Amino acid sequence: MQACNGCEFIGTLHYDPEFQIWVRREQGGTLTVGMTDISQTVAGKILHVRVRRPGTRRPAGKPVATVESGKWAGPVPNFFDCVIVEGNPAVLADPALLNADPYGAWISRVEPTGGADLALADFLTGDAAFVGYCERVRNEDIQCERRTE
Amino acid sequence: MEPDVYLDDEDEQTVVFVVTSGPSTPQRCATPFYLGALLASMDAEVHIFFTMEGVNLMRVGVAEALVAMEGGKTIIGFIRDAKRAGVVLHVCRPALPGYELEEDALIDEVDHVSGAGVLADLILSCDKVVSF
Repeated sequence: MQACNGCEFIGTLHYDPEFQIWVRREQGGTLTVGMTDISQTVAGKILHVRVRRPGTRRPAGKPVATVESGKWAGPVPNFFDCVIVEGNPAVLADPALLNADPYGAWISRVEPTGGADLALADFLTGDAAFVGYCERVRNEDIQCERRTE
Repeated sequence: MEPDVYLDDEDEQTVVFVVTSGPSTPQRCATPFYLGALLASMDAEVHIFFTMEGVNLMRVGVAEALVAMEGGKTIIGFIRDAKRAGVVLHVCRPALPGYELEEDALIDEVDHVSGAGVLADLILSCDKVVSF
């Protein structure tokens, strides 16, 4: 685990260019999607999460889920064509888990229609991702905090 | 009442918000953007049309200094969240002179400066109209 301004980062995950979401490869070709520490901090205490119903196809650009906090509402963005496999029952029941443990509390598991390699082609990972992640944190002066209440 | 945690695919709908509230009622100025961002993230096409005092929200320097509640996020933050989610912002051209507002004094987030005919077309062609 690495960090910038208290914003934790896991080098083995894959990140979109703005570090809004993380994606993890799973056995069988599915992908797990979650919010980064940056995103949960920017959102504030998350009150509601709604995931697209399992079996729904979501093209690139169509969110896989929506998130509401007291000061922010918006999409969990999606960058590749996929089918929703499931939402995380624990997060759907207790959305604040996204604040307390953003890398453990995944949001949805999806099946990329073109395969995992194609889906992750434009994602960043490892050291290159860490550089960009820290750049966003510093440029926007983000100080990450975990809410556990 | 809590909504279903799973969202179903529905026909994509167009929603128009007509915003006449402005900086004299700051408590009314965050919700249009918050709800707009939420609807856009649920695949709705969302247009916000500012008229009457609403045009003043789009004046450079106003939303940057305005909060809906003490200690809250600035309205410009809500505006940018809505834009990021895909919300389209229109400012009513005929309302500008009444507030001594020139087009070049509008914030960059504005997509269109539009006449009343555009609002009329939006209202007649959309699925839902909400006023704030």
